[in-house]
Amino acid sequence: MVDVLVWVLAGAALLLAVWALAGAVRNVRPSGPQLAGMAVLEVALLVQAVIGMVALARTDRPVSTATFVGYLVASVLLLPAGTLWGIADRSRWGNGVIAIACFAVAVVVLRLLQIWS
Amino acid sequence: MVSDVDREQLPAQARRSGFGRVLIAAYAVFALSASARAGVQLATEFGSAPLAYVLSAFAAAVYVVATAALATSGRRGWLVAVTAVLVELVGVLTVGTFTLVDRAAFPDATVWSVYGRGYGFVPLVLPVIGLWWLHRTRPSA
Repeated sequence: MVDVLVWVLAGAALLLAVWALAGAVRNVRPSGPQLAGMAVLEVALLVQAVIGMVALARTDRPVSTATFVGYLVASVLLLPAGTLWGIADRSRWGNGVIAIACFAVAVVVLRLLQIWS
Repeated sequence: MVSDVDREQLPAQARRSGFGRVLIAAYAVFALSASARAGVQLATEFGSAPLAYVLSAFAAAVYVVATAALATSGRRGWLVAVTAVLVELVGVLTVGTFTLVDRAAFPDATVWSVYGRGYGFVPLVLPVIGLWWLHRTRPSA
């Protein structure tokens, strides 16, 4: 596990959550740059998932495999699922859904770090 | 909180659109995390705290049913959703109180322990918002 990467991911996810929340408050739908940011975060999450799997295979720490893998899988599924569910709505609430998905990603990656250490 | 567009759709189509989508997303996150947690607990360490883990599994089932029912249109979906959300509210209040009174019976946490403190008290707030939303989008008699 790369601690710095986890913190960057959590920070980026929180930033995108605030962005989406601001969009919901301002009554606008998710914007292009916002969705691009989420795509970048998703790629980084996939990289992190690969790193996590490799680290799990090599480590001799007492890490619960099922829990760790569960969180890794959740970390890469949340954004696509939230985005699909969110952008289908033609109102501010699409941004509300995306805010929840981004916040959940932040929680999940921080939990990963907690399980790891 | 709800835009005019949403209000025009009320109540027939509205339960799973607008704010309803946010609510369903929140319930889905809890359904997923509670199920995963209960699954791991039951599979790996059931013997150490059977009561807490059975409650974890029950809570997970309630969230799954609530999520599906909130996303289902029609009167039956509404009735199931109201029932599930009420069970959820009773569950979080009961388990929350029990965990305060008798910590020993709950050596390991469930979603509802101490009114959902481990989850930022969202488990306590969610059913209240859920009932409010279901009241708003109730099927006309």
